[in-house]
Amino acid sequence: MSARLDPRRIQRALVCMMFDPSYAALVRGDGSVTELTAGERAVLRGVDPRGLTTDDMRRARALHVILDEYPVSAALIGVEVVDRFFESAAFRACVFDRGSMALGFGRDYLVALADRLQGVGAIETAMASARRVERPRSPGLGCAPGVAPVCVPDGTLAWYQRARERLGPDPVQALTKLRKPWPNKPPRTGLEHLLIEAKRDGGLALGTASAGLVGLLIAAERPRPRAELVTVAIELGAAADEADELLDDLIADGLLSQ
Amino acid sequence: MPSFLERVGALPTLGLGVSTEYGAGQQAGALDPAALRRDHPDFANFLEVGVEIVKGLDDDARAWAARGWANTYHFLDINLDEPEDFDDAWLDAVRRTVAVLDPAWLCGDAGLWHFGGRDRGQMLLLPPVLVAEAVTPMADGIARLREATGREVLPENPPGAVFLGDMHLLEFFSRVAEAGDTGLLLDCAHLAMYQRARGHAPLDGFDGLSWDRVVELHIAGGRELLADGLRWVEDDHGTAVLPDTWEIACAAIARASNLRAVVVECERNAIAEVVPLFERARELVAERFAGTGEFA
Repeated sequence: MSARLDPRRIQRALVCMMFDPSYAALVRGDGSVTELTAGERAVLRGVDPRGLTTDDMRRARALHVILDEYPVSAALIGVEVVDRFFESAAFRACVFDRGSMALGFGRDYLVALADRLQGVGAIETAMASARRVERPRSPGLGCAPGVAPVCVPDGTLAWYQRARERLGPDPVQALTKLRKPWPNKPPRTGLEHLLIEAKRDGGLALGTASAGLVGLLIAAERPRPRAELVTVAIELGAAADEADELLDDLIADGLLSQ
Repeated sequence: MPSFLERVGALPTLGLGVSTEYGAGQQAGALDPAALRRDHPDFANFLEVGVEIVKGLDDDARAWAARGWANTYHFLDINLDEPEDFDDAWLDAVRRTVAVLDPAWLCGDAGLWHFGGRDRGQMLLLPPVLVAEAVTPMADGIARLREATGREVLPENPPGAVFLGDMHLLEFFSRVAEAGDTGLLLDCAHLAMYQRARGHAPLDGFDGLSWDRVVELHIAGGRELLADGLRWVEDDHGTAVLPDTWEIACAAIARASNLRAVVVECERNAIAEVVPLFERARELVAERFAGTGEFA
């Protein structure tokens, strides 16, 4: 009796094959592909490779989205490096685990480039997170939808804002003309605590906040029981008898939500 | 609950209609559904409204619904076989949209509308994997959407250049419809693509379909392309309808005993360009829809 096929896994692998010729070759070849059973792989091996490229703008459209959300990161690492995201384990994780491509790019792919990006990648990842107000969240007390705290080297926000200005009103267009990555280096020392909030008009507000507040909100990025956040608040300097009230205030201010 | 074959009798006969998607009518030279209805009432008995929840309804769709004109809701953003895709926010928005449109039914391609989660840059459309294991998850999703909206949900065979799995597409959708106790939307142009891609004749596999479940048909233009020696058909909704598509439509109309609606998908073309398509479609369905709508 043959093993049951998981059609969703097959379809997800097909998506990766469409974005990434090297993954398509891997599936067709003899190397290990742990995410597929032999039967599922056999279904995919029957695909005519030419059929994978009939939409020759598929990857370009997805790249456009990443460049639009990570313009300064892209300027620092170069568009070619951004484009290689679609050949990465981070992209495949997004496809196989029902993730967000833009968040996976920031949280998983840019991590390996942190030395080059310093706090810039973290800012743009936090912005991508804040934009996704409708993202489903797990139960518990956590950052409200549209709220993203981030801790970066001192001076990164000002550096970032200057870099955005330099890219002009159409950053993606500017990036397509960029022949090599910017040599500029973002700040590397000190600490700056930022809070990014989605606005009702669809835009984002970026500003500095206290270390305690940002630390507490970072702890609340993954929703958790209220008692745990009370403990975190006390560790970050809140008076023991005021920590509960502090959480209530943050809920009232729209920074935390159940 | 009565079976679908009992419920289908309550579905209205909509006749010949036209489709739209968000913003389609705003493009230069694109089809204005209301103008088509005014100039050619029998070509636009109803409007099939393509809905991606994140975009909502455009002014043309809202105006059509506000006049109380018949319509159907064509979803563009649900992977029916993924239970996680039925999140509360999306379902609430679907119900609100249904309340605005009051569609005769919901329908849409039963395929992969997005990879990963439902997020920016992740929309696409791939056909289902045509294997037995894919039938039940798809059928479960159809039943879930029907229960959530209180409307019939008709799965449609999606387009594609690549089809995976060894089951014939018509047998697959027949099994899905039976397992989900629902009707079907047969897209004749998409079926023509499948038959070509698999090296079949246009009517191959017709005996494997439960034709009494086919409620709606789509007819649309397609463009033959050649890439690296591979011939395939792009679903461009243009003015050139493949002969295979007409052959399929003609044979389907003869067999679909519960047919209620036929859409000519041509939303990005000028009315003058698509009149010949509607005229030919009208000839095909005139006898079937005689006595209903503008055919009366």
